[in-house]
Amino acid sequence: MSFSTFVTDKTGLQKLYEAIISKHETYAPVEKFGKYDYKKVSSLKECDPDSPIAMTMSVKPLFFPRASKIMKYEANSSGTTIMETDEDPLAGKRVVLGVKHCDARGLQVLDAVNKWDYIDSDFLKRRANTVIFSTRCDKADTHCFCTSLDYDLEKLDALDVAVVNGSDGKIYLQARTGKGDIFLKENSDQSTMYDVQNTMDDVRSTKYEEDMKKQYIAFTGSFRLKMDYKDVNEKMAKRFDSPAFEEASRNCVSCNTCAFICPTCHCFKISDEKIKDTGVRYKSYDSCNNVYFTLEAGGHNPRPAKFRRWRQRSMHKFVYYKERFGVNLCVGCGHCAISCPVNISIFDVVNHVANSPASS
Amino acid sequence: METLLVPTLCKVDRIIQETPDVRTYRLKFKDESLTEKFSWQPGQFVEFSLLGSGECTFCISSSATRKGFFDCSIKRAGIVTADIHSDLEEGDEVGIRGPYGNWFPLDEIKGKNLLFVGGGIGLAPLRSLIQYAIDNRADYKDFTILYGARTSADLCYKEEIEEWKKNTSVKVVLTIDKPEDTWKENVGVVPKILEEVVKPEIANTKVITCGPPIMIKYTLQSLDRLGFAPKDVITTLEMKMQCGLGKCGRCNIGSTYICKDGPVFTYEQLKALPDEF
Repeated sequence: MSFSTFVTDKTGLQKLYEAIISKHETYAPVEKFGKYDYKKVSSLKECDPDSPIAMTMSVKPLFFPRASKIMKYEANSSGTTIMETDEDPLAGKRVVLGVKHCDARGLQVLDAVNKWDYIDSDFLKRRANTVIFSTRCDKADTHCFCTSLDYDLEKLDALDVAVVNGSDGKIYLQARTGKGDIFLKENSDQSTMYDVQNTMDDVRSTKYEEDMKKQYIAFTGSFRLKMDYKDVNEKMAKRFDSPAFEEASRNCVSCNTCAFICPTCHCFKISDEKIKDTGVRYKSYDSCNNVYFTLEAGGHNPRPAKFRRWRQRSMHKFVYYKERFGVNLCVGCGHCAISCPVNISIFDVVNHVANSPASS
Repeated sequence: METLLVPTLCKVDRIIQETPDVRTYRLKFKDESLTEKFSWQPGQFVEFSLLGSGECTFCISSSATRKGFFDCSIKRAGIVTADIHSDLEEGDEVGIRGPYGNWFPLDEIKGKNLLFVGGGIGLAPLRSLIQYAIDNRADYKDFTILYGARTSADLCYKEEIEEWKKNTSVKVVLTIDKPEDTWKENVGVVPKILEEVVKPEIANTKVITCGPPIMIKYTLQSLDRLGFAPKDVITTLEMKMQCGLGKCGRCNIGSTYICKDGPVFTYEQLKALPDEF
């Protein structure tokens, strides 16, 4: 089934964004101290859907918050009461603008772990109620390697509407899901945009695909980093005992930043805060790079050394998650490398390990 | 809102001091209508909250064949368990999520000889299966329990062990690490007693074992020497867990979620996991 593609220009896109913001609960990248984070916006002026990838934080917290309340409780001499927390602020119908393709893929990758066996209905409800507008990058950043991974940016349906820059100022809005298709049709403005598949003009309708392809080829040519993910998957699976993990992780300060900004990392912890008789229980981000992550009450810790934690982190991304759910737990966004205070890149780590001698 | 992680309230009905640092907490649902709905299999675990201190993973140490309550036997080890021991009293309320995880392979052990090998608090998960099997005694052949602890004071479930001893269809072998004046049973570590005193029949026997890592290590070696096939040796793993639901990523070993695919594994399955322990 093919979905509609609309053509417009910069002015038309801005008008569409403005219309969306005025009619729907909308989130978009908002700048603060040079960094962009997804926030609820009330006008296009507040945000930048074309924010630079390297400075834009993941959209993941809109679906999996950095810290969320599990419950409140009250305990006193008359007993204990568990109270519902406030209504989920992320569960309503909403639109997110300016999501990067890699970041949207991250959400799709997370669907797998949230859908297997016990179903995380909160996560899935947030996903189902969100329409994602994704801007396809024109140029790769220093640490980007999305085109080297197990997904096709041209067909990716982790997003609902892809926004692609064409030639001569043309901008294509390509619906990638049924949800995106309906939304686009309902919200498109006939005066500034038209559906290429429905137009009577044959030239216009056949050329848009070529134009999008041209943009994609130029984009793929801009990558500094390239790898064969299948080769990395296979080789890493045979390198559990490789000393390369030790070499690659030597400089790590275990700050966990890489996990906290990652679009696919999903480890969390449960913690209580109590003041007198009332308390709150939180679910918040945690990381396998944290030395306390696997520390048991009795003192035993299966991963007391950095290289073991890095082995878990990189094997989880390129071997274990793939074995379990069929996809890599990495989308090639490069944010971990950008944010790392000691300049470690997951790309370097997995390639270093993959190219080290195999364990006997 | 994190629907999956909200616990249900239970009342502490009874606290039994098992050893100087182990207590069994007998729990009943605050909302009694939930009692019937809460069903579990031997080997499963719950997430146990002392609200304000935190949540910990404990196996259910009683069998669902004993109705109206369930037990968690808790050793004082870390921050939350220390708070549980010092703060929690009979009549107090705790939060419970579960039951989670897989369970002992009830179909496979049917019709077999059962040999339980436990050490210290490791008897807790075995106890749920021991009770279950005693309550369905006709389904099994020989029934042997080998249980050891460092000292006689460290043996859990002393009263219940006396009952097991009185049961003529159950053979109970006890041991402690070092001799004590009043101790009349075996002395020596569990693997030694297993090989020298129990001398189990290999054919048609399933071994179910749990204990401290060092005991497990040497017990597995003994069972190997005795000629048990790894598929006939069943154990239950202890791993740091938080969600218990296969989401939080804490208990992963390779692509296995200990909380979902386990905690019960055969020795054969354990050997196939990446060597992280």
